[in-house]
Amino acid sequence: MPFQRVIQALSFAFFIVLMLLAAFPLISPIPVDLFLRLDPVIFLGTWLSARAAVTSLLLAAIILALTAALGRFFCSTICPMGTTIDLTDRLILSKGKGKRRPRALPRSLKTIKYQILLFILGAALVGVSFVFLASPISLITRFYGLIIYPFASFLGDVGLSMIRPVARYLDIPALAYAVVATPRFALQWFTVFLFIGIFACAIISPRFWCRYLCPAGAFFALLSLKPLMRRKVSQRCNSCGLCQQNCPMDAIPEDPFMTDYSECIVCETCVRICPAKAVVFTGPNLKTDRPVNIFSQERRALICSGLSGVAAAIITLTCLNHFTGGNSPGKITDPSVIRPPGALPEDEFLARCIRCGECMKACPTNTLQPVGMRAGFAALLSPVITPRRGPCEPLCNVCGQVCPTGALRPLEPEEKIWAKVGTAYVLRHKCLAWEFGHECLICDEVCPFDAVKLKKVSGVHVVVPFVNENKCNGCGFCEYYCPVQAQSAIVVEPMNALRLTKGSYRKKGQELGLSFQTGPKDRHVPAVKGPQPPLESKNAASKGDLPPGFTE
Amino acid sequence: MKENPFLESLLRWQMLAEKYVDRREFLKTHVKGALLLAVGSCGLIPSRPLAAPGIPDIGIARGDPGPATRAAIGLLGGIKAFVKPGNKVVIKPNMSFAYDPDAATNTHPEVVRELVALCKEAGALKIRVLDHTLHREEPCIEGVRQACQIFNGDIVHALSKKDFYKAVHIQGGIKFKKTDVMKDALDADVLIAAPVAKTHSSTGVSLSMKGMMGLIWNRSIMHWRYDLSEAIVDLCTLLKPHLVVIDATNVLSTNGPGGPGKVLHMNTVIASRDMVAADAQAVHMFQWYGQRLEPRQVKHIRLAHERGLGRMDIQTLTKKKVEA
Repeated sequence: MPFQRVIQALSFAFFIVLMLLAAFPLISPIPVDLFLRLDPVIFLGTWLSARAAVTSLLLAAIILALTAALGRFFCSTICPMGTTIDLTDRLILSKGKGKRRPRALPRSLKTIKYQILLFILGAALVGVSFVFLASPISLITRFYGLIIYPFASFLGDVGLSMIRPVARYLDIPALAYAVVATPRFALQWFTVFLFIGIFACAIISPRFWCRYLCPAGAFFALLSLKPLMRRKVSQRCNSCGLCQQNCPMDAIPEDPFMTDYSECIVCETCVRICPAKAVVFTGPNLKTDRPVNIFSQERRALICSGLSGVAAAIITLTCLNHFTGGNSPGKITDPSVIRPPGALPEDEFLARCIRCGECMKACPTNTLQPVGMRAGFAALLSPVITPRRGPCEPLCNVCGQVCPTGALRPLEPEEKIWAKVGTAYVLRHKCLAWEFGHECLICDEVCPFDAVKLKKVSGVHVVVPFVNENKCNGCGFCEYYCPVQAQSAIVVEPMNALRLTKGSYRKKGQELGLSFQTGPKDRHVPAVKGPQPPLESKNAASKGDLPPGFTE
Repeated sequence: MKENPFLESLLRWQMLAEKYVDRREFLKTHVKGALLLAVGSCGLIPSRPLAAPGIPDIGIARGDPGPATRAAIGLLGGIKAFVKPGNKVVIKPNMSFAYDPDAATNTHPEVVRELVALCKEAGALKIRVLDHTLHREEPCIEGVRQACQIFNGDIVHALSKKDFYKAVHIQGGIKFKKTDVMKDALDADVLIAAPVAKTHSSTGVSLSMKGMMGLIWNRSIMHWRYDLSEAIVDLCTLLKPHLVVIDATNVLSTNGPGGPGKVLHMNTVIASRDMVAADAQAVHMFQWYGQRLEPRQVKHIRLAHERGLGRMDIQTLTKKKVEA
């Protein structure tokens, strides 16, 4: 196997391992969002749209510097999107190997990727992040995390349930009780159709995405116009044209001695395929090398793309559901858009979130889901807490830890407890206790923050729940467990959520009079040792002051 | 000093295990047992009534969790009165919450460990400690699982998938007549309920009867379709533990079932064959919200008594107490 393929395979395996490690508890010593931090579109797009120097993304600058020296090595070795496309290209084209299509596509198509890049950067200038539309690493992370991972979990679980009877019969508890939780995600088809499109383009050309569409590729191309490592063809070349036909990037023009360096991804396919062994990659010879000039004529199109980005961003900003932070009259906030704990204030959050889905993949309760258009186009596919699917685990802080751009702040568990995401309220007309007089009160039972208080009210013969809003963290345990069918009788809304750009949530929360206690340690109430304490009331209680749940 | 009871029970169990390693010895015991049974069934030896004379209805032991558990069961004639060699045993503690034993929301791990050790001593073939946890599985069962690590084998499990449950009819149910029960519990020869003693905001207390809800799949229906207390009694006509061991070493006296509440350090373990009697005894013995309450004031206990599932009239039942 050629060296490039080995590196590519290792890198892809590493990507998959990091993806699997993006889970609670987080045990990986290496940041699981590493690949996302290498993407220059995420880097520049986020810096621009957030107007902030997001230092975690500086790793991409290293890749950019290396690209200036080595050419687009990222595309052929590191990029999991490129690797996936190499794989699907091979699957889709395996039958037609003999009759590989001639290069019929006009070279001008290659400027599309620059246009996409400029579109994203244009919108970023206005402060709207469209990085999620085309950043290759964001897309591929979303694909593997939100499509392939649930798919594989489902198959794994089917497999386990097939061997379970055997395992039970043979009494192998490790197998008999093993389960694979299958996460479920909203809006998969948005991503699936996009990828069907990307993969199907194999019919038109290999690595179609990388050649014509990838904005990160465009970025790399700009930096590798004159790389230090270059393709060289010796006089042994007999102009057989094999290298031209097989170049996955269409980087070799009519004259096989020439190379379009900005398109070359240094995969060295040409070196391997050359029957005359005429191709090598070496340092530059400045006298004789003539780089191919790529876009002198398309300046107008490029400017147009940038301006389209600006325009699209402005249209997004004028969308009714777009978060205006009170700058525009009206209070349009969708009650179901509950942001994960530690999410920056909404405008900053949206400017940073790249919709990679890493937080949703990592979320142990599957409560984090991509949102549709409920919060405007600028919020498409961004994460929201979905309590009916799962509650937000008080002791888990994984979403902030895996976020590559800091849209969710990485909080320590004791800080995270204070990052209030919303407040629950009781829908009395649906509540089993309030409306139907049933003993229920599961909301009180499950609340990790002890925020549900039971009170006696006249006219109802059972105790009924009230929410103490200063103790309610918005975690959604109550809404998740509420036994009432369809709409829960206790509902969390992003009401009074704490959204801080910086500073301590605990401090701010205490300042606001909030009080959060959970977890085995700080919920410990000192035990009463020795004999039972004196009775508060001597005789069996009379009807008036019976403790909750007891009857006369 | 705290480890002492646990080490002791471990040693005891190991000695027994070593004894059983000798296959001939093992066979002998079995043959003897079979012979005795055969003879017994011929009427030469009078077959033992359910509870032999001198065996109390309720055994109450005071002490550290492990020794008190052993002592309380000892009062009922020892574990061998319940678990026979080769039996499949399911132990159902309360492992619903991810909190320390001190919070008294879960059964103390040492109580469960002692129960497993006892079952091993009695020669149980297969022992499972199972619950359908309320919160996320791993942190809830972690404490008990760690405590049970001294035994070989994978004993403690939280079953949060419907595959592990089987639909059954509740023959004795009045309204709640059908549910999905853990297959292991249905297959078991012996079911041991090992709840922690705590208050419950909607059913007054959560003890062995309420704890049976941890063996079924869909509990929410008991809340919204039926009267919860009535549904609990219906369920208990199906899931009737052979032995009830109530962990009252720490009693969550207020703000149950999840706490945090006032925890009474009672160092007590209550054992009985009768789930209603055991629950009634616990209600009677401890303070709930600083008050003395009677078993009849817990609706599901009263209903179970009225329906003949067991007896809550603990004043008329025989009791024995011991210091462990």
